[in-house]
Amino acid sequence: MIIEARGLRKTYGDNVALSGLDLEIEAGGVVAILGPNGAGKTTFVEILEGLRRPSAGSVSVLGMNPATDGRNLRERLGVQLQKTALPTELTVGEILYLFASFYRTSQPAGPILERIDLVKQVDQNASTLSGGQQQRLAIGMALIHDPELVILDEPTTGLDPKARRDLHEVIRELRGQGRTTLLTTHYIEEAEHLCDRVIMIRDGEVVADGTPFDLVGQSSESSTIWLHVDGEMDPAPLIAAGVAPLGRQGDHHKFATTDPTATVLALGDMLRSQGLRLIDLRLKRPSLEDVYLELMGDDAADEEHVA
Amino acid sequence: MIADLRGLGPLTRAYLLQSFRSRAAIFWNLVFPMAWLFLFGFVFYRGNQTLMMPGLFTITLISGSFFGVSYLMVSERENGITRRYRATPVTAATLVLASSIRAIVILSISIAAQAGVGWLVFRYEVQGSLLLMAFVMLLGAAAFVPLGLFVGSVAQDMRTAPAISNLLFFPLVFGSGAAYPAFLLPDWLQAVMRLVPSSYLVEALQGVMLRGHGLAQLAGPIAVLLLTLVVGAWCNSKLFRWETSQPLDKRAMLTAIAVLTLLFVAASVLAPAFEMVLAPAR
Repeated sequence: MIIEARGLRKTYGDNVALSGLDLEIEAGGVVAILGPNGAGKTTFVEILEGLRRPSAGSVSVLGMNPATDGRNLRERLGVQLQKTALPTELTVGEILYLFASFYRTSQPAGPILERIDLVKQVDQNASTLSGGQQQRLAIGMALIHDPELVILDEPTTGLDPKARRDLHEVIRELRGQGRTTLLTTHYIEEAEHLCDRVIMIRDGEVVADGTPFDLVGQSSESSTIWLHVDGEMDPAPLIAAGVAPLGRQGDHHKFATTDPTATVLALGDMLRSQGLRLIDLRLKRPSLEDVYLELMGDDAADEEHVA
Repeated sequence: MIADLRGLGPLTRAYLLQSFRSRAAIFWNLVFPMAWLFLFGFVFYRGNQTLMMPGLFTITLISGSFFGVSYLMVSERENGITRRYRATPVTAATLVLASSIRAIVILSISIAAQAGVGWLVFRYEVQGSLLLMAFVMLLGAAAFVPLGLFVGSVAQDMRTAPAISNLLFFPLVFGSGAAYPAFLLPDWLQAVMRLVPSSYLVEALQGVMLRGHGLAQLAGPIAVLLLTLVVGAWCNSKLFRWETSQPLDKRAMLTAIAVLTLLFVAASVLAPAFEMVLAPAR
């Protein structure tokens, strides 16, 4: 395990940020911590980085305790903090050179500049970069020492869609080379399309954990099926298989099912026995967003204003 | 144990580049000392500019140490840049030392500009060794920069930093004989002067510049400045803060203030009598 947290608690006065969080993350891939603002995402990753101390519980990152072995841990850990702060009056190249000097080993800046697509901006004052470019530089600063673990705290918050897509490209390329990337986000589609594993947290606790497919599969929400057949259809065999009819929508019959795989099998038998031809079939599974809204309840509603 | 200073060179270089590229830094470190030079030379000390130079250099060193150094530290902490450094293996000692070296280099440039322009305009005289004068100036910078960093660690944000800096700046300037000739001050103020750290810098600079003293004759004030440097550096090692939300270690702060007070009470008792309180023979 590259990260292990046991009963992790963090309180700020009466405010509980983490309420006994248990989590294990193994090496490799891109892992998302997804949750609304105030769920404890930043508190959690900053405890991993050694920037905050837990109130109770234990945590181990790359086999080290961040609170007591922070310096050795940081040699192998790359971070991008939620609030990007770049040293003033320095160029992109100067900032990367400066950060490289803090580590025992570091990579040449050239390939990193290519990876974060800032080759042309190398001599530009970093404070004149666009928001998306500054975020990419922040990721470059996290990669300069070729770390095994990269922690990105809301890397795309506040960026326009194009800048966000560019950044997703950069994060996708972090995969491989035995590197693990942990990122926090409150964008559902970011977790769904970018990450191998999604950990949803709410009120400082893990409420769901798995691949995007697993999480969608665990949903109690039903899938919707639309059928268009030539001729008159008797839906009795489908209803017998537990499918709920929802009436018609134009030429399509509409059904709801909690087990789409079984429904499609029953549908095949029905079409054969009734001698019907299938003209169109549409299936809508619950999305990760449905799962998220189901799990987050009122907290997610607050999020709409932010996202 | 010797602290790990990896990255000290590149960080010092980065800090210096930041200062050289900042218009505010150029104004405060070059334009402002010139304004003091001409105000003193043409208004307060007309016709007697040789007498004003040691005090003027002291004012430049103190204002640079307090305003420049503490503000940079506080704003970098407030903007979260120090926190970003904390997420790397760089040590607090490296940050403090790089800040100190930057400040001493910038102060050296300020003082050199002030000394050069001052000589061209006023043709002041220096009785003693120029090398010793430069050494005393450097020691003055090295003694007061840690006190500026101390203010930077104690101040919570950019609203409190100027307040604390001013609170210290005025007694250090007006209570030390830097602004007026000490021999014109009343007896009680001359007694108070012995408790003010910057008086020892004025005394040492006057010794070499006005009275042609050598190193041996300046041993008293130089020892006080060296001790100020050591105590100041120790205070910084105890009080450095990586981020604004990190609480100030109140016990360490009170200890630091107590040790500094003790140092200057001891100096006022033990250091040789100031020569600057004697009226110069004409």
